Amino acid sequence: MKPTLESLRPCLDGAVPSVVATSAPDGTPNVAYASQVHYVDGEHVALSYQFFSKTRENVLAHPYATVQVVEPGSFRHYRLKVHYLRTETSGPLFEYMKAQLAGIAAQTGMEKVFVLRGADLYRVLDIEAVDPQLPPAPPRPDALLRLRHALDHLGVSDDLAGLADRALAALSPAFGIRHALLTMLDESGAALYTLASIGYAASGVGAEVALGEGIIGVAARERIPVRINYRTGDYAYQAAIRGANSNAPGIPLPVLAEAHSQIAIPLAHGDRLFGVLYAESEQDAFFSHADEDALVVYGRHLAALIAQSACGPEDPEPASVQTAPPPADGTPLIVRYFASDHSVFIDNDYLIRGVAGSILWALLQENAHSGRCDFCNRELRRDPRLPLPDFGDNLETRLILLQRRLAERCPDIALEKTGRGRFRLVLGRQLTLLSG
Amino acid sequence: MPVPLNSEQTAFLQGPVSINVAATGGDGWPVVCRAQGCTVARDRRSVTLLLSARQASAVLAALGPNRAIAAVFSRPASHATLQIKGRGAARVPLTAAHRACNARYSNQLGAELGNLGYGSELVQGLKQMLSASDLVAVRLSPDVIFDQTPGPEAGRVLARA
Repeated sequence: MKPTLESLRPCLDGAVPSVVATSAPDGTPNVAYASQVHYVDGEHVALSYQFFSKTRENVLAHPYATVQVVEPGSFRHYRLKVHYLRTETSGPLFEYMKAQLAGIAAQTGMEKVFVLRGADLYRVLDIEAVDPQLPPAPPRPDALLRLRHALDHLGVSDDLAGLADRALAALSPAFGIRHALLTMLDESGAALYTLASIGYAASGVGAEVALGEGIIGVAARERIPVRINYRTGDYAYQAAIRGANSNAPGIPLPVLAEAHSQIAIPLAHGDRLFGVLYAESEQDAFFSHADEDALVVYGRHLAALIAQSACGPEDPEPASVQTAPPPADGTPLIVRYFASDHSVFIDNDYLIRGVAGSILWALLQENAHSGRCDFCNRELRRDPRLPLPDFGDNLETRLILLQRRLAERCPDIALEKTGRGRFRLVLGRQLTLLSG
Repeated sequence: MPVPLNSEQTAFLQGPVSINVAATGGDGWPVVCRAQGCTVARDRRSVTLLLSARQASAVLAALGPNRAIAAVFSRPASHATLQIKGRGAARVPLTAAHRACNARYSNQLGAELGNLGYGSELVQGLKQMLSASDLVAVRLSPDVIFDQTPGPEAGRVLARA
């Protein structure tokens, strides 16, 4: 029985370089290493096109090639007879290969030539096992079982904050993932911000990534999973990219300094993108093709749960507002707000900006004005001072972000959940509010 | 007159390098196989590639007096790569020296990959695959030598007959 292209996916991770044989019109053969042979679907592979080579010259004149790939766990060789179809220079396939090439380039000593000019698409016409007698690679972990374990650990939660934490915690027992982030798309759709993380010294909650930047930004912009198997020296694909505005104060992404494997999974439900799940490892080739499949399904499930949590009914507005007890005496905290980007600084230290910053400022002003400390999401949605979009379900994630950021950086200002869509502002110190 | 290899290239081709050989079949399809070792002649004007008759059947069928073959040699530790091409490659009798070369080659390439962190399963598989009982020898006189080290310079001609 002939091997299927699906069964050869472990050969297509760049662990052992593949070779491509082509022929010139006069019959002179050429044999060269391919940086990347990418699995597209059950009938197609794509080869990276970085610069004009003899391989490329030959296939443009005579579009037939033989690609020899190697299974890394066994050294079994397979030969693919392929027919060149076309070159793609934009779109999801191109972007995935561009990101992956950054990792493969580092592995194969090609850091300086990793610029992808195109993804050369080939139809696979035949597959030959070179030495069927060689023993197969040891079996890999069953990704479907891992997915099931992850979903078991995820459990049931209608609370978005709990869901975010459990979604990351479940990755460790199921997939052995020790470092991961959950990032959410912001209201503008131009950036993602970190809502939760596991496995880092600093949580990085609030850290931003611009759409299209780094592996997380590419996964979000193209709505595709991106998996990089080797440490990349390519700055653009290191996840630790600053936010869209590098002059603005920011929170660094708490990623590994030298990740050897990275994966970014879009969290999409229907046609809506909620964010990106990112995981990384110090080990080379930590995530298999099958892990990518499983995490894509996990990401879709997670996105559905996020969408569901946004649809739940909220508790009615509190009938009577309570007055906060006056905070204990002591040096007041200086809270400074800049309306231009809604950034908030506490005693000159950056806390947060954007929607979360404007929410905090509105709550503190209301509390200073009336002493009120109980609030609800509904009134925030109605508040014309807040730059909230038409769809209001991002409000909940912004409140979680704000709550977590305050807990980390300024425990004297706290937000406590008091019901569905309701929360309380708890102040441990007197505040001095300054604007501008 | 074939182009001679220099001493550095000679040492490189006989070192712990991955070797793959391509030819163009009678139907026009390019064919490829992994080689099991390489020896360079004393005058450095020809190389002998060791192949498994079964694994290399398509390449062997494509040999002919006026037919070209190509061989690429790449060192896993440095990614340094050379490609040689020549016409008229032909089978030559297998000698004890060829068998010794094959055994040495399999060990040194296995050790090279082991040192680079490839797992023991891969190294064992490599030794099994590169210890063919159906070894054949093919002599090739290079007409052209290319630098094929990854990068924009890949494909540069180093020597031509």
